[in-house]
Amino acid sequence: MSTNLNNNNEVSFVPPFLKKIFEYIKSTPVWKSIFRVGYPDTMPKRMAVMRSSFYMHIFPTKVGMHGMKIKYGWCMGGITFFLFLLLTITGILLMFYYVPEEHRAYNDMKDLRYVVPFGMILRNMHRWAAHGMVFTVILHMIRVFYTGSYKPPRQFNWTVGVLLLLLTLLLSFTGYLLPWDQLGFWAVTVGTNMASATPLLGYEGPFSKYLGIQIDNDIRFALIGGTRIGPNALIRAYVWHCVGLPLIATALMIFHFWRIRKDGFSGPM
Amino acid sequence: MAETKTDAMISTQPGYDKMPAWPYFMWIVLLSSLFITILIWVLSMFFNAPLEEAAEWAKTPNPAKAPWYFIGLQELLVYFDPWIAGVILPQQILIGLILIPYVDTAPEVQGYYNFSKRKFQVIFFSFGIFLWFFLIVVGQLLRGPSWEIYWPMIDYPLGGQEWTYPDQPLKTSQAKLYNLSLPVGITISVIGFIAGMTLPAMMFKKYFKEVGIIKYSLVMVHVLLTLGVVGKILLRLVFGIKYVIVTPWFNI
Ligand code: HEM
Repeated sequence: MSTNLNNNNEVSFVPPFLKKIFEYIKSTPVWKSIFRVGYPDTMPKRMAVMRSSFYMHIFPTKVGMHGMKIKYGWCMGGITFFLFLLLTITGILLMFYYVPEEHRAYNDMKDLRYVVPFGMILRNMHRWAAHGMVFTVILHMIRVFYTGSYKPPRQFNWTVGVLLLLLTLLLSFTGYLLPWDQLGFWAVTVGTNMASATPLLGYEGPFSKYLGIQIDNDIRFALIGGTRIGPNALIRAYVWHCVGLPLIATALMIFHFWRIRKDGFSGPM
Repeated sequence: MAETKTDAMISTQPGYDKMPAWPYFMWIVLLSSLFITILIWVLSMFFNAPLEEAAEWAKTPNPAKAPWYFIGLQELLVYFDPWIAGVILPQQILIGLILIPYVDTAPEVQGYYNFSKRKFQVIFFSFGIFLWFFLIVVGQLLRGPSWEIYWPMIDYPLGGQEWTYPDQPLKTSQAKLYNLSLPVGITISVIGFIAGMTLPAMMFKKYFKEVGIIKYSLVMVHVLLTLGVVGKILLRLVFGIKYVIVTPWFNI
């Protein structure tokens, strides 16, 4: 690839006076303090634009043709991450309207539907993106497995990935309770009841009676803050869903991406 | 412009053609972000997120289903006690997944799709994924009131939370279930375990030597666990056996 990418035969639709104004704006110290490299029309500039920007620096300056093929990576890790971002944005907006209180939560859902402008589409986007993320993270894992991308030196990043898979499921699961409707309420009841069967730690689990474990001091009680799903479970699900789990997931994702940059993307060795 | 160590290491690999991330890769990122946003947006315009009646403790829906990604575990509750289906099996799935890179260290296939050089790995993993989604499909689509099988179309349709076909009787399982007696159950399990652990080692001596006894055992325990799950499902469906091992403290 030639280093000079300037195309002199370029046809321009921008009127000359506008061009002059752009030129002026680009020469101001303010503009230069923000965009330091200028338009990346040469190879060194293309490298520099990636390297000198904090946000772009997450990407490599050069990428292998091999890994970029859609049929290799299916874009699934990236799409999972993008869905996570989409969920963060729609989730924050939903938090403006939603109060995790036994008598309000369900009515807030109704308000989102009938009162809040664009409330329904906001909730829908959050819901479908959440299902989508669970699905894409599974596909991502499948592709990493079939391409053998967990082989050295990427073993530990696979481990981090498994934790991210678990966190994705937990995020989705805690969110399921928040509308406080029959669907979520009973799904979470079914799900958390399983915890009471934990050997030693759940009140219905094998051997737990020898440890003095009862319905009001077992692991399920700790998870839902009561002997059945109630207001305490709602606030716990809310805090885990909106604060605890996203923070942990973000920390792990930062680690995940750091490792990919350091180990390089898998490919022919 | 100095390249970082890893960048340089990779770019010197033969046959590894590279292109600048700007603008080619950034286009892919931008376009796929737009595509996903539009996809979710359009979906959201046509399909509303479900919202049922307000939660009510006194009104248990029949059936009460877990979200789809956990429904495989709920489906396993038919065949296993909750401490196995809800705790031990998910725990072993996670541990098994985490172990994969530490037991499969052969460097051959890395960075491309291949079946012939890693037949066992691909078959075992694919089988696990298949089993997972198979259970999800059964639990999500075929299970009706009292967690009985209701065939879509053939059986009468299910109505929302409540049974809306009062003239149609609900299904109740007629199956008569048996338990194996303790000595028989233990004998079968122990023989199965020992045979399962030793036979493959003798059949695939070369592989066994390659991986060593620790990795081999870690792998085989999970293979046997998977086969055990399938085996117990079949025992239940074909012979009506509920428990293989019955003790005063727990049943398997
Ligand atoms: C929230 C969840 C996750 C996010 C956002 C995420 C994101 C990503 C991204 C953006 C990549 C770059 C390559 C690609 O797109 O394929 C990647 C690579 C990778 N991921 Fe994930 N991932 C997640 C979960 C997982 C899981 C569940 C696993 C495995 C169990 C995993 C294992 C890996 C490995 C080993 C790589 C390196 C692949 C290679 O070099 O070819 N990740 N991940």
